[in-house]
Amino acid sequence: MIILDVRNKEDFSRFNVEGPFQFDIMNIPYFDFIEEEIVSVSKVPQDKPIKVVCAKEGSAQYVGEILVNHGFENVSYLSGGIKTWGNLLAPKRINSQSDSYALFQFIRPGKASCNYGLIYDAEMIIFDPSKNIEFYESFAISQNSKIVKTFETHLQADYISGSKEIANKTGAEIFAHNGDFKEASFQYSTVNDGESYSVGKDGPEIRVLHSPGHTPGSTSYIVDNKYIISGDTVFIQSIGRPDLGGKVEEWSIMLYDTLTNKIMGLNGDLDVLPGHYMDWNEANSDLIFSEKLAYIIKHNVHVYNMDSAEKFTEFIKDNMRKSPDIYREIRRVNTGWLDVKLDEADVMDLGKNECTAVAYNKIKG
Amino acid sequence: MSDINFDQKLDCRGLSCPLPVLKTKKAIDEMTVGTVLKMVSTDPGSKNDVTAWAKRTGNEILAAENDGTDFVYFIKKG
Repeated sequence: MIILDVRNKEDFSRFNVEGPFQFDIMNIPYFDFIEEEIVSVSKVPQDKPIKVVCAKEGSAQYVGEILVNHGFENVSYLSGGIKTWGNLLAPKRINSQSDSYALFQFIRPGKASCNYGLIYDAEMIIFDPSKNIEFYESFAISQNSKIVKTFETHLQADYISGSKEIANKTGAEIFAHNGDFKEASFQYSTVNDGESYSVGKDGPEIRVLHSPGHTPGSTSYIVDNKYIISGDTVFIQSIGRPDLGGKVEEWSIMLYDTLTNKIMGLNGDLDVLPGHYMDWNEANSDLIFSEKLAYIIKHNVHVYNMDSAEKFTEFIKDNMRKSPDIYREIRRVNTGWLDVKLDEADVMDLGKNECTAVAYNKIKG
Repeated sequence: MSDINFDQKLDCRGLSCPLPVLKTKKAIDEMTVGTVLKMVSTDPGSKNDVTAWAKRTGNEILAAENDGTDFVYFIKKG
């Protein structure tokens, strides 16, 4: 199949459809078809199925019709446009089917992010829900369960959280750390380091591990002593940036302390379930983003083996990138102080995350 | 709003792509070189599209403005 993206080159280069497998993608703006129909059509291979993508769907439909008029037989378009792709969630069962509970990873390829669902005894908990509420609602129904709680690993700056809307719609309770949410305009229950929660009657234990650094309230959740939902603290190939809040020194020291004194002291056999990935090659053969903590520490030795908080801070500063301007606005949405229309939310929410700390270019090079 | 003189006006409010660009093209095709079209759209996506289209077709955007709702373009036929 060939993806034919008919948006302008600028929008295309900022964000486009991709995935774990190679496929052909072409960018021919729709106004090229308006200006030079025959030349543009001749650039599109006629022997393969074509999927046309645009910003919404009007232009994809328009170009699709032109292609059909020129004898193309297998043409379709992405309904809802690129935002459909941006909001897409792909559910993956993480734990064994024979376990008494079900743990799911919801991969959002458009954001390179992951959120999680834990189901037991007809109750479902969602960790870091995105704003694709319809997905969670129908997923819960498909699993014969009801959404009862959401847990936030931190105040997200890179995407709009669905917790507030889920709570409004379903009555689910929001759990979050005061370090990030104390100024939130909505009701939530506070989580504290060392506390335990559960799902359903006698369900698997959810242990709270306060792991500040990416944000002061960053929290990881250890599920059934087997999995750690690490938010933006531990990633498979990196760690969460401590410089997004404009306090790089203070937060880097916090993160150094978290990594050295908390994360490295955990059982290395824990499976890390990260909030983001940098590349599809981090996924395992089942296309799940999950890796043993011991393996991650070993393969990110530059990060975990810094001699001192000062050196760690220097390392972070050397690798700093600009943080997207939109992140300030998204934080205001996620604390409930800014209401945006669905259309605007879709636009704010588009594009990959900028949460990973380092590409290691300075260290490895 | 700019005080730019224009020769023709095109209202594309409420329309989404590809219509604003399609209608702009049609209007420009019927105008003479050097005259100016004022086009008004409500589609935020029109910004990058109209700019890229004008560049490709050799027409000049004299000004592109946004008052929060309307996106206004002054396009000089090249």
